Amino acid sequence: MRYPDRLGSVLAVPLTAAFLLPFAGLKPNRIASAQAEWLHDMVGWPFAVAIAIIAAAPLLKGKARLPLSAFALATWMVVMGYGASGLLEGAAEYARVSPGAGFWLGLVSLALLLTDTLARANPRPLARVGCLLAAFLIGIMTLRLWGDVSIMQEYVARKSAFWAEARRHVGLATGSFAAAVAIGIPMGVLVQRVAKLRAPVMNTLTAIQTIPSIALFGLLILPLGWIGANVPGARNMGIGGIGMAPAFVALFLYALLPIVTNTVAGLHGIPASVAEAARGMGLNPRQRLLRVDIPLALPVILTGARIVLVQNVGLATVGALIGAGGFGTFVFQGLGQTASDLVLLGALPTVALAFAAQVIFDAIIDCLPGRRT
Amino acid sequence: MSIIKAAVLMGLLTTGMASGQVVVSSKIDTEGGVLGNIILQMLEANDIPVESRLQLGGTPVVRQALIAGEIDVYPEYTGNAAFFFNRPDDPVWKDAEQAWQTAHDLDLEANQLVWLTPAIANNTWGIALRDDIADEAQVGTLSDFGKWVADGGDVKLAASSEFVNSAAALPSFQSTYGFELTADQMVVLSGGDTAATIQAAATGTSGVNAAMIYGTDGAIPFAGLRVLMDDKQVQPVYQPAPVVRAEVLEEYPQIEEILSPVFQALTLDMLQSLNGRVQVEGVPASDVARAFLADGGFVTK
Repeated sequence: MRYPDRLGSVLAVPLTAAFLLPFAGLKPNRIASAQAEWLHDMVGWPFAVAIAIIAAAPLLKGKARLPLSAFALATWMVVMGYGASGLLEGAAEYARVSPGAGFWLGLVSLALLLTDTLARANPRPLARVGCLLAAFLIGIMTLRLWGDVSIMQEYVARKSAFWAEARRHVGLATGSFAAAVAIGIPMGVLVQRVAKLRAPVMNTLTAIQTIPSIALFGLLILPLGWIGANVPGARNMGIGGIGMAPAFVALFLYALLPIVTNTVAGLHGIPASVAEAARGMGLNPRQRLLRVDIPLALPVILTGARIVLVQNVGLATVGALIGAGGFGTFVFQGLGQTASDLVLLGALPTVALAFAAQVIFDAIIDCLPGRRT
Repeated sequence: MSIIKAAVLMGLLTTGMASGQVVVSSKIDTEGGVLGNIILQMLEANDIPVESRLQLGGTPVVRQALIAGEIDVYPEYTGNAAFFFNRPDDPVWKDAEQAWQTAHDLDLEANQLVWLTPAIANNTWGIALRDDIADEAQVGTLSDFGKWVADGGDVKLAASSEFVNSAAALPSFQSTYGFELTADQMVVLSGGDTAATIQAAATGTSGVNAAMIYGTDGAIPFAGLRVLMDDKQVQPVYQPAPVVRAEVLEEYPQIEEILSPVFQALTLDMLQSLNGRVQVEGVPASDVARAFLADGGFVTK
């Protein structure tokens, strides 16, 4: 006899609610308010019951949970696609179908179940990236059926812009991340060694962190604009008061605090006896730093880096306000048009990107020598 | 030595090249997308080399970028010059002609920026009434509206608390047009935007039949609402006009003639429907602009 385990029982609550809440909303036009549609009205009772069984099956504990939850998740997506097409039949010309609260609740519950099951299997780093890739491919395949769902209609209307913004978003987030790591770690080492520098540097970085991003962009327009106009070749490299440069600098500045703080904390955490032993072995300061201190502090430093990577992916959305592009373009245009599905077209890929960045970064960390035993 | 020379030469070359291209920009909102694309496509159609930086950001960002020379042209509202030059209480902003002239003169003097011919459409704060009610009560202007409400017309207005409370908005409409809305005749949405008020009037939520609006809101025609004319000019005039750097206009003086007839064709109804196609139907702004320019005969297909 199989029973739901603790996770299964907990997730049964939101999953039940998913069937009680509207599965989709039918809007007479893009910005009108939605009229609620329940799953059983969209697909009929027999199908609704079948879907409920498919969705509930992975709640039970057992070896089959992984494929069952993946299947349930894919089914959930497919049902939304077909359901939307059904709703649009005979609807007004500009009518739109948006996923409802029930759909999102079910999607999140099933995704949690799937990721938890995967995490428990404790796969090797490469396998994790493989799972991510598989999820991505399956996601794309099911989204092909979403032609009548409003978010995909927003996507189709701006297909080429979407991928251009995606490239900019990734470039902005990872570029400023790399720059912050390259500068932040040496800065952290320096600040940890030279006690006099610690207070001024840390206080400056903390102060920067409290400046709202929009204000920081405003402060950067004039100096960067001046550089772009007066330094030969700077404009050619894309440096100017608007565009990529101010967003890059702002993200870089925000990223410094966690990296420097964690580097200092990591180096502080090395026991005095270890340093003593290293000295006793005759290592010079440079060797001690590279062979003993940095490797020992690395886990703490990497934790900081991981925070920064996810933070950067999220913060890069604000870059759209200064002409840097990225997924934020859709978020802010959507807000301006009160078109919630356009906002989602910017927000959902950002969430997915942050999640993917985390999985990939963790996998890379686990591949480092001496990490995984 | 030769390396430095080469670097300087390259810098000169690149800046020389950059000045040849007209960088067209606009604000990030719906209308910014439509007007920006209209300017961009018109310049392109007339063989002026352009670079697109459309929907760059909010007003302060685009304005600063223009002054800094990062962009060369973008559409701005005449009434906003009141805030750029810090004289919001000046009565000139309430007259379309004077507002444009003042903005033009001040900006040319201070920043070497030229305001070109504005659109006829006025994107200012106003009140819209449901078509069916407006027809029945024969209300077309705010004067009519004031008389109708004062005579006991059955009105219920949805508005943001800012609109209701700020002296320049509803209070000044009420004193000029001689009507007074009671608390029962208003639904105040704290922090509400025009999308919410239009929605309320369109669906008649809580008996609402009038809404606070911006003149060119794209949702207005789809919601069956009519914008009441501010016939006594209570509000500052916000007509969109291309603002271009004088330096660029000197290089391409034809820009003025290219854009002028197009902006003159942008009436309130026209701009509403263009915004509506983007906002309500979800058509990309560039396609909407292209169709408008082709239909108006401004470009040959």
